[in-house]
Amino acid sequence: MTILPITRSTATSGRLGPQPGEVIDRHRTLDFTWNGRVLQGHPGDTLASALTAAGERVLSRSYKYHRPRGLSTASYLDPGALFQVGDEPNVRGAHRLLREGDDVRSQNTWPSLAFDLKAVNGLAGRFLAPGFYYKTFIKPERLWPSYEKVLRTFVHAGEISPVPGTEVYDKRYAHPDVVVAGGGPAGMAAAVAAARAGASVLLVEEEHQLGGHLRWGGSAELAALRELTAAVAAEPGIEVMTDSVAGARFDDNWIPIVQRSLPGVAERLVKARAKTLVVAAGLIERPYVFAGNDLPGVLLSTGVRRLVNLHAVRPGQRAVVLTANPDGDAAAADLARVGVDVAAVIDARRGEGIVAAHGRGGVQSVELTGGRRVEADLLVTAVGWTAPTSLLNQSGDDPVYDPRTARFRPDPARLPDNVLAAGGIVGEGSTDELVAHGDATGREAARRAARVARRLAAVPTAVTTPRPPVPQPDAAPVVVPELVTPDHPELFTNGTGGFVDQCEDVGLKELRTAIREGYDSVELLKRYTTATMGPTQGKLETVNMVAVLAQATGRTMAETGTTTWRPMYAPVTLGALAGRPSEPVRYSPMQPWHERHGAVPLVAGQWIRPEHYGDPAAEVTAVRTRVGIIDVTPIGKLDLRGPDIPKLLELLYVNKWQRLAVGRVRYGVMCAEDGVVLDDGVTGRLGEDHYLCSTTSSGAATVWEWVENWLQTAHPEWQVHVTPVTTAYASINVAGPHSRELVGRLVEGLDLASEAFGYMNVRSATVAGVADCVLWRIGFTGELSYEIHVPAAYGLHVWERLMAAGEDLGVTPFGVEAQRILRLEKGHAIVGQDTDGLTQGFSAGLGDLIKLDKPDFAGKPELAWQHERGGHPRLVGLRPVDPTIVPPEASQILDRDGSIAGRITSSRMSPTLGRAICLGQLEPDLAEIGTRVTVRHPDGRDVVAEVTDPVHVDPEGARQRV
Amino acid sequence: MMLLPCPWCGPRSATEFRFCGEAGEAGARPDPATATPEQWRRYLYLHANPRGWSTESWYHGSGCRRYFTAERHTLTNEVRSTTAAGGAP
Amino acid sequence: MFATSNGNGHRRNGNGTRPRGYSAWDLVRHGITGSDWPRAWREHDLRDHYDVVIIGGGVHGLAAAHYLAQNHGITDVAVLDRSWIGGGGSGRNTSILRSNYLTPDGVRFYDRSVKLYEHLAADLNFNVMFSQRGHLTLAHNDASLRTMRWRTEVNKLQGVDSEVIDADEVKKLVPYLDTSSDTRYPILGALYHPPGGIVRHDAVVWGYARAADAHGVHIHQKTEVTGIDVERGRVTGVQTSRGRIATGTVLNATAGWSSLISDMAGVAMPVQTFPLQAAVTEPVKPFLDTVVVSGTLHVYVSQTDRGELVFGASVDPFASYSIRGSLEFSEGIAGHVLELMPALSRMRLLRQWAGLCDMTPDYSPIMGPTEVEGFYVDVGWGTYGFKAGPVSGEAMADCIAAGRPPEIISAFGLDRFLAGRLVGEKGAAAVGH
Repeated sequence: MTILPITRSTATSGRLGPQPGEVIDRHRTLDFTWNGRVLQGHPGDTLASALTAAGERVLSRSYKYHRPRGLSTASYLDPGALFQVGDEPNVRGAHRLLREGDDVRSQNTWPSLAFDLKAVNGLAGRFLAPGFYYKTFIKPERLWPSYEKVLRTFVHAGEISPVPGTEVYDKRYAHPDVVVAGGGPAGMAAAVAAARAGASVLLVEEEHQLGGHLRWGGSAELAALRELTAAVAAEPGIEVMTDSVAGARFDDNWIPIVQRSLPGVAERLVKARAKTLVVAAGLIERPYVFAGNDLPGVLLSTGVRRLVNLHAVRPGQRAVVLTANPDGDAAAADLARVGVDVAAVIDARRGEGIVAAHGRGGVQSVELTGGRRVEADLLVTAVGWTAPTSLLNQSGDDPVYDPRTARFRPDPARLPDNVLAAGGIVGEGSTDELVAHGDATGREAARRAARVARRLAAVPTAVTTPRPPVPQPDAAPVVVPELVTPDHPELFTNGTGGFVDQCEDVGLKELRTAIREGYDSVELLKRYTTATMGPTQGKLETVNMVAVLAQATGRTMAETGTTTWRPMYAPVTLGALAGRPSEPVRYSPMQPWHERHGAVPLVAGQWIRPEHYGDPAAEVTAVRTRVGIIDVTPIGKLDLRGPDIPKLLELLYVNKWQRLAVGRVRYGVMCAEDGVVLDDGVTGRLGEDHYLCSTTSSGAATVWEWVENWLQTAHPEWQVHVTPVTTAYASINVAGPHSRELVGRLVEGLDLASEAFGYMNVRSATVAGVADCVLWRIGFTGELSYEIHVPAAYGLHVWERLMAAGEDLGVTPFGVEAQRILRLEKGHAIVGQDTDGLTQGFSAGLGDLIKLDKPDFAGKPELAWQHERGGHPRLVGLRPVDPTIVPPEASQILDRDGSIAGRITSSRMSPTLGRAICLGQLEPDLAEIGTRVTVRHPDGRDVVAEVTDPVHVDPEGARQRV
Repeated sequence: MMLLPCPWCGPRSATEFRFCGEAGEAGARPDPATATPEQWRRYLYLHANPRGWSTESWYHGSGCRRYFTAERHTLTNEVRSTTAAGGAP
Repeated sequence: MFATSNGNGHRRNGNGTRPRGYSAWDLVRHGITGSDWPRAWREHDLRDHYDVVIIGGGVHGLAAAHYLAQNHGITDVAVLDRSWIGGGGSGRNTSILRSNYLTPDGVRFYDRSVKLYEHLAADLNFNVMFSQRGHLTLAHNDASLRTMRWRTEVNKLQGVDSEVIDADEVKKLVPYLDTSSDTRYPILGALYHPPGGIVRHDAVVWGYARAADAHGVHIHQKTEVTGIDVERGRVTGVQTSRGRIATGTVLNATAGWSSLISDMAGVAMPVQTFPLQAAVTEPVKPFLDTVVVSGTLHVYVSQTDRGELVFGASVDPFASYSIRGSLEFSEGIAGHVLELMPALSRMRLLRQWAGLCDMTPDYSPIMGPTEVEGFYVDVGWGTYGFKAGPVSGEAMADCIAAGRPPEIISAFGLDRFLAGRLVGEKGAAAVGH
């Protein structure tokens, strides 16, 4: 043990004189506020280094006990430096660079950081055992909601503003040969070597500069850093991403990289499909667990070296250093060099140790093994390292504990071929050794990337487009030198107490209590105490938790194992994951007209359609008495060509198709193999081997896949070619008694007389000068109507010509709502509204359509059995006895005993009949026409309705056949 | 997600494809003329659910719009072979 | 096989007592004396015989063990788990409870579950922190509004509290939701279900484990089942990584692995195993009081008492036993959450994970006996197993004790698939958390 003489520092400010590796710009000063007080820092400062330089020591309060906390790692992970910056919560203050005008606040303190009322929790700590909330507030049950409200006020975090920010987030795809995760010496060397071997490389570094621990090293390290930086810069094949994190490794090296500190965007998500991944994440210094280990002034050696060497900040005036490795020694030397009194260096390699840190609001003295107390305001610990193996875990390697080096270590042999590990995460070495390891790993990564490229290119494909040249055949595998890690003492806790997890305020004693209660596996212990579940994601805490568990259970660390490292490696904003809004929208070519004419938009799946133009009832009346036009572009349309189409239609639809003549149209319904109604539509035969088949707008994609499935997998021998033409045509339905007159004014070369172009026929013709329009004479509305499919580019033209030509006829545009009323009056069911996910064909009013005498069609066996069984629900018409009551859709129909016997599926006031009309699904014993049933209105009333035929208007169909 | 080697387009992200379930003889459609309810419902509902190699059908919906059969390991998602429906390429 | 429902004559593993000793007073007492708490559950040697072997130490298996002991006096029961209790779906779900289902069978079943949850803390002497903060299912189009109304009407007829509310009322409940009309999927209204909420999922597992242990049930962790012995159509034993257990009654409660376990008994299961992913953000101060679900956007979100947002979505797009998760999940969930609540773009996703779901063709479970005598299943739980834990345990205990399924699960038998009698939850359950 070395007790050094006390020499008083003369410095009053926390800012040191210039340091060789410093990253601050002393020539410029930035103003910022800390809990409302104006302070200064320099460009290059982190929020935390600027605060420390300004003399601030207490930066936050802890979660449960509201204990004062300061810096410990002085890195992204530092649990004591989470701040609210303006509207942004949970900012990593020891990573985020200071900007002019930053409004920095401590989180979760009231009324102030210095005097926090909830610190009384600290006094009650002995009663707040882990999981204390599981053990109390149980009775009386009625009080639990009030207890819960109190618990919620303890949430340890910043606030999110209800006002959306204006910042932009972005995404980018990348297809590099090699991603190197970690830009320390090994990662930089790996990137350079891979690039020199011809690979394209993304070099990803979490910090603001490349270099890893070289940055806070001495002159030799700084010289090596300059050399490596120049080598990286000289390789055009390397793209460097600093302040960026490779967040995860998913199957086939699908790697999300979050880039921060970019101009113009808040964050960017780079989605990289890497042929090989090199994980060079280095080592994370591990905190030591002892009584008082959370006092402000207890720092890790790397934290001290960052503050001193990068930011020229004095972390304290008088220090005790507990060291078990060269980094701790170096920290002691750094402190001494900059004039901090190093009161004692405690060398754990020689069996020396500490008992506890004491102080109020910060370290005031350190109690050494043997009882001696040393006055100090800074206690530095260097007790070991944790290998951040997240990306390797996610690649299939579970690290195994190695007692000789006191850490969980990856086994590269368990990694898949396309993932490699380099540098400190594998083992320790001098800078030269780390560079050599990185260099060899980088060359091997490039070689394997070339192999992956060849394998991907070797997948046989039908398309013979020219391929990019494939890299040369393999050289022999690169021999990667071994990194020999020196022995390291196992130092996790001295057993005197303290906090294992400072994010979650979980202490050593609390962990031990929980273990004795039976939460004695890592996963149970983690879940019960919440240790390792905080913002540091266990990177600082997990191994210490494992050590405590191993000690308490008498198992080895290896037997105890560790928890799974899940994505993301570092937290990622929702903004970056979401990128720019990308919900697709579809419009018909007539959309500008609809918008100009006051159409109320309706979201219908991907489509935006006019719901109505102001008065849907008037639109219905216009169709029934004059003529209306509706934009039906979203209707699915498949162009079918080939001699075997009738066979296909016979298989797809429940009805018959063999004798559909050229020029004719037929309605069809298709069921899935379980007999459930899938879709419906009309299909017209345009020529000998040419059909146009329509589907519902929502079912267009599903039906197309369904058709392709039958053609490709069940009947590849059939000659049918399917082309989806939904958006190749704009579709307009012209409906109403004057529709023949209106269409006749615009059509060329087509006789519209009923005997020439009758109901359920199809013709091609020129309309308003547009050739190759397809006209179907069909009637979803129940009126004489023509559905015109116009080449899409002319849709708006034909629509406008129809409106102009029909002005004297009273032509009226109508929307989806009027169409729904019209079809309900006509009793046409809508698949998905009047049927549901289990409605089989005979429950959909299709009894006459289903031809069980066909040898086969999709769903036939189930439909045959449904028919045999009987007893299935029926689709019926319903009319409330009081004609003014329109029971809302989904109103339930009740049996005499009050049980559910059916429901209203469609319901509207009919402008044509001047009364309420409905469709419904109903149990068969109530489905006889004339039966009176009870409908439970959502407002609680019971409404009597009479069962009718589904067709409410023109049951003979005379109007559509004229 | 993993890469799927489409027999027509080459290796593409699995997001471009739709999974269509078990393929091959075990999942084949019974003759609807003779199938008993039990046989038919086995075809509808009872599919292999292996933890290991699985023969299954995929549809390249955002690519060539072709169905093909893949042998995939359901634990690792490794794909060891793909075969175009109806034969070639 | 159990002739009497009180299980007279059955061997007990220990003294059948209800667990006690958790209260504010005990917290103070232990705080002052510094004395240890008793073990929540004990470790035992694996016996070579148990009356009942339950495979799967999740909420379903442990609840079944608890109710077998408590309601039927059957305490010679072993619960086996290949890893740690609650390590499967019970510890990976998003812990949402609700009973606003679509079919009367479903509503009645889940309503019983919510009722059991309401008193579970007192029953188990373990605070499971059931927070009945209300559950909103958003409607973005008239079709989903119609489905919401359908569910509401069925719920009301079953006595379950549900109502359809409009966008303004939604905004009052969740001010952070963008209820303006110029979004891609405008919020037209919602199905509001006040008794729904969230619960501390692990606590439910531990509470049942502790209670079952107090009744004498043996909980065996790190005990993997490697085979099931069936002779002449009857179960005779279970092979495990720690040796064979002779038993005449086995319950399969293994969710994503359920078809693998049933295969060991020669029973084919109409299930496909799909990963279901979830994610959690860093905490922020509480701002979201209700559970918010959007079926159209495939997302559900709630805020825990710790301040984290918990997100879930629909199952992965292809069958798999992988729980490695995907980037596409977190991209999709973030995009959809920001569609709903654009102010959250600066919140950070902390971690994501996956569990395995055994999906059935009709989005309803498979519960009851099988063609192998003594082999019972409580599987097919898909994405909604956690919320049914207590009622499933209670019903399966009834089923095992009586040898036949009780009325409340009569619609969920395995035989319904070959008989073509599917349950009609399919319409509402596409994303139904």
